[in-house]
Amino acid sequence: MNMKPKIECKQKRGEKFLNFKLPNYFKKIGWFGFAIVFLTLFSTKFFEGDLEILKSILKKTSLVFLLVVVFSKEKVEDEMIERLRAQSYSFAFLGGVLYTLIQPIFNYITFLIFKPEKAVFEDLGDFQILWFMLTVYLMFFYYAKKNN
Amino acid sequence: MKNTLKVERAINNFTQDELAKKIGVSRQTINSIETNRYVPSTVLALKLSKLFNKPVNDFFNLEEKD
Repeated sequence: MNMKPKIECKQKRGEKFLNFKLPNYFKKIGWFGFAIVFLTLFSTKFFEGDLEILKSILKKTSLVFLLVVVFSKEKVEDEMIERLRAQSYSFAFLGGVLYTLIQPIFNYITFLIFKPEKAVFEDLGDFQILWFMLTVYLMFFYYAKKNN
Repeated sequence: MKNTLKVERAINNFTQDELAKKIGVSRQTINSIETNRYVPSTVLALKLSKLFNKPVNDFFNLEEKD
């Protein structure tokens, strides 16, 4: 039985999945949606009542819009952009791991020094970690693109 | 790796933008290659070679450290 075509087909499917990108105009949609969600999230501070569910939905929506920006193509999506993307992904991943490990310790020590009665060791939430990774990715990518 | 892409471009009378369009990359990529900040892939090097009608070795050269 010839297995080569099957393997090639799987590889191609995998490559297609990894190289998936949204069209360039999604970038504007992503930033616009993110700005609206961010402003709405900020404005919830001025309202009273139990808005935890709304806040949680808005936070997750902001992550989705950031993800749309990340997955949107540049005007010219060439091999250098692909390299910058790969570098940004690894930078964001490394930054995310270090942030997740160090930030709780840093928070705890800061509280111990300034407000010892409130010092509790707490791990970061999923939103905080994902937000950090996506913003680090975008910052690194645009910085590298501008300076390359 | 060093290159003489800028010289080849001047010989062929292309602007960075024209060259970029001919090989399907951004102007920024051409600029990065010319200033040795980006080493292109084999595919891109061969596209340039075909366009300039010269072997790749004529405008891409390895350095001591490579």
